[in-house]
Amino acid sequence: MKDNKKPPLTRRDFLSRSGSAGIVTALAGAGTLSVFAASAQETPLVAAAAKPPIDTIKGPASEMAIPTFCAMCGPSYGCGINAIVRDGKFIRVEGRKDAPLNRGKLCAKAHAAPQWVYSPQRLKYPMRRVGKRGKGKFEKISWDQALDLIADKLKEQKKRYGPESLAILSPAHRTYSTYLYRFLTAHGSPNYGHSGICAIQKAFAFSYTVGTHPAPDIENTKLYVIWAKQPVYAGSSKGGVRSLIAAKERGVKIVAIKPTMEPDVAHSDLWIPIRPGTDAAFALALLHVVIEEKLYDTDFVEKWTYGFDRLVPHVRKYSPEWAEPITGIPAQQARDFARLYATTKPACIEVGNGLEHAVSCNDAVRAIAILSAITGNLDRKGGDLLNGNFFGGGGGGSSFTLSERYTQEWVEKIVGPEFPKAFQPGFEGTSTAYYRVFESVLTGKPYPIRTIIAPGTQPTVSTRGTANVLAALKKVDFFVVIDVTRTAEIDYADVVIPVTTMYETDHPFEGFGPAVAARNKVIEPLGDYKSDYEFWIDLGVRMGYGKDFWNGSIEACMDEQLKPMGITYAELRQRKQGFAPPRKPPVYENYAQAFTAHSTRLDKGPYLPEGKVAIYNTTFEKLGFNPLPEWREPPESPTATPELLSKYPLTFSDFHTSKVYNAAWLRNVAYLREVMPDPTLQIHPETAAERGIVSGDAVVVESLHGSITLKADVNPGIRPDTVMALHGWWQGCAELGKTNLPVLEGGANTNSMYSTDPKRAYDPLVTAMTSQTLVQVRKA
Amino acid sequence: MSKQLGFYFDAGRCVQCHACEVACKSTHELELGPRWRRVLDRWAGKFPLVVNTSLSVSCMHCADPACAKVCPVTAISKRKEDGVVVVDSEECIGCRACRKACPYGAPQYGHNGKMQKCYLCTDRIALGLQPSCVATCPGEALAFGDVEELAKLAAARGGEKMEGVTRPSLFVIPAKNVANISIEFHSFFQELHPGRTPSAQE
Repeated sequence: MKDNKKPPLTRRDFLSRSGSAGIVTALAGAGTLSVFAASAQETPLVAAAAKPPIDTIKGPASEMAIPTFCAMCGPSYGCGINAIVRDGKFIRVEGRKDAPLNRGKLCAKAHAAPQWVYSPQRLKYPMRRVGKRGKGKFEKISWDQALDLIADKLKEQKKRYGPESLAILSPAHRTYSTYLYRFLTAHGSPNYGHSGICAIQKAFAFSYTVGTHPAPDIENTKLYVIWAKQPVYAGSSKGGVRSLIAAKERGVKIVAIKPTMEPDVAHSDLWIPIRPGTDAAFALALLHVVIEEKLYDTDFVEKWTYGFDRLVPHVRKYSPEWAEPITGIPAQQARDFARLYATTKPACIEVGNGLEHAVSCNDAVRAIAILSAITGNLDRKGGDLLNGNFFGGGGGGSSFTLSERYTQEWVEKIVGPEFPKAFQPGFEGTSTAYYRVFESVLTGKPYPIRTIIAPGTQPTVSTRGTANVLAALKKVDFFVVIDVTRTAEIDYADVVIPVTTMYETDHPFEGFGPAVAARNKVIEPLGDYKSDYEFWIDLGVRMGYGKDFWNGSIEACMDEQLKPMGITYAELRQRKQGFAPPRKPPVYENYAQAFTAHSTRLDKGPYLPEGKVAIYNTTFEKLGFNPLPEWREPPESPTATPELLSKYPLTFSDFHTSKVYNAAWLRNVAYLREVMPDPTLQIHPETAAERGIVSGDAVVVESLHGSITLKADVNPGIRPDTVMALHGWWQGCAELGKTNLPVLEGGANTNSMYSTDPKRAYDPLVTAMTSQTLVQVRKA
Repeated sequence: MSKQLGFYFDAGRCVQCHACEVACKSTHELELGPRWRRVLDRWAGKFPLVVNTSLSVSCMHCADPACAKVCPVTAISKRKEDGVVVVDSEECIGCRACRKACPYGAPQYGHNGKMQKCYLCTDRIALGLQPSCVATCPGEALAFGDVEELAKLAAARGGEKMEGVTRPSLFVIPAKNVANISIEFHSFFQELHPGRTPSAQE
């Protein structure tokens, strides 16, 4: 950090410079969300050369601008940046105007990238544990020694216990998840441990109801419903903000359904402050009104839905009056909103990860999908489109995970299926529920996992039952941590693999929508390490799987993935704006195709056997699950466990995203920590006053399962009967005098607050975990 | 009237993402502590008719800067060519009189004890770039330019110049809200500068 001696700050310097500037405003032509600008396709392909194109942007001559992509948030990258380097040091980023996703804009995280790269908490070299587990004593080893240690252990365990004794946990940064799948398949293990909190659960429910995860057509809608979604924090420069503001200025009616007033709610016309975890009850009440008042599209229902006649009597019991004590939403407001939604054409619903934090996740999403379908909003302009673009990603392809090798025997070996075995493999491959990896270690059932690899994931702050996770990490034979900075459970690792940030590699290519673009290296790696991608390729070779891992060549790996696009990685690097296949004009009402989509299951059977919207789901029925969406109570709630209210009167839940952090990372980045210095509890003024609490007070939040200490943030933008906090807190920030927090008692880890009752804490079909409980709050 | 550059802020487009704040810190490689730009927010109303609105502020390059008036060593000056208020760190003695005088808490202090603040990225402007806060804003809530042009833009969008004895060069567009609650922009500064009301005379 330099101090205040920068030349422009002296008056003499100022006077010598021209200060003329016309008005610069970007307000004209409020943008719309478009994945890739047409102009990008016109970039000529120049001859391949090894060097990346260095940008000539306006800036001081001493600075060099390297065009690449931001890498500060998961699960996807794609915001184009110019990384500015001075004297060999990465000093700042500027948004690239020609980047189709962000169009020159960036978020707070993006601008803090250099502090993350040069963070004192970075792992500098591979390490091996020398002390007792949990003590955190390590010695430095080389990259080769580390690979040998891991490969030797895996080979030995494969021989003794079978390859399925290895589980790899899913990372928060998802661009390398396909590499983990590839390694698992080559090794012979079906155990990819996926945490049921992010996108895959809703994608499952949508696919088995309407054939795919719909994408809201915000650009052409008249009513935009933001449901359990955070369009601002989930990457403010990626287009969510642009769409929200553009919709608002076009006069679109915006309705937000979520428990607290976040910035997107502040821009909405109507806030429906639902009690956390009760979205399924609310959606069922909306279906009740739409059917009772015959507000549905009879033509669509007749032609394209299956089982509507069975839904009609089924939702009779789910009246808005029935839902009111559960959701906390007055029956009249539910009726008004149902009418508004069903009579405003077109209307679209953007569904967020909030729905995936509840035991009724699958039925909430199904009910919402059915609501969109029967009101005639499915695949219509301005409605919820079925073009399959929701999970659009460039390159890759299913065979990258070697999924063609899956067999029934393979599926049978899954240690704790994320989705029932009959539904495996899922979108990415076969998977086990993340939390069940730890259960297997502790119980040995159905067999014990012997090695856990945690690449870019922090299990003690990412899944429920923190005490169980720690017990399992103490017990497991072998535990490997792969990350950029220290993790919450690094002290338990046998081997620690440090990896590059994405500013220190020139791969992989980034995919956004149907487009791909090369990543350029900004600086050389700061320590003895390689990228996540290279690690898996190196380990594959070391294990003897060289044929599946391009014999160690990252270039060959990139080229193979780009082959379907007819371009090599070297050629792609020369196209600053990337490569996009020609855009197809939108096709609406493409039901015949969308409703006959083949599933990812072994039998490749269709998601919708009747070729219609599965209102009555015969696939679920055959396997013993509810054919129609139903309400399922959280393990603890005012209506599920009223007997607890005298001791624990408030509903507690946590936020999935925050404005400046990324899951359980980036608290160590001082520029971001200055914006959000402490873990806070959002609490209503009346609720706070009853307890003598004012903003800034330290407060203890206690549930049946645990307690955390937070700082009170008192404001009226939350239900008075609910309090909420951000998850993922543990990391300190030495520069600001913030110490690491414990992951159990006395810390701020929300995961320790919830039930882990196997019968009541998880969605029975999609293993989504509860993020709701009852608590008491008191001054610390 | 001589030329005066200023900022423009549309609360109806701000999503409180703090990108402007961190872009500023990173562009100027600021040490920890000083924040040349800040995103402030205010709550009003009663649940469930609640209003939450924001203001992104830096130095407002006032037409009549209180900071310059009180500086005992004339380290603070107003540039003739564009009205930008600048501080000469070589002359500043770190007495903090400017901090006390500024109604908006703009002057900041780092380890060297000298005043530092937004200088409207005049070096970037000279290169044809936008100030870093304006360039990055995902909601395009921020703009900068000549106050006469900003006045036209603000008028067209239902906003106006922020009032105050120092005549700040900031145009603000209030966010429309469902509860029809108006939030006085000066109220944002109470927490920054307790005990002072920007609209009152010295």
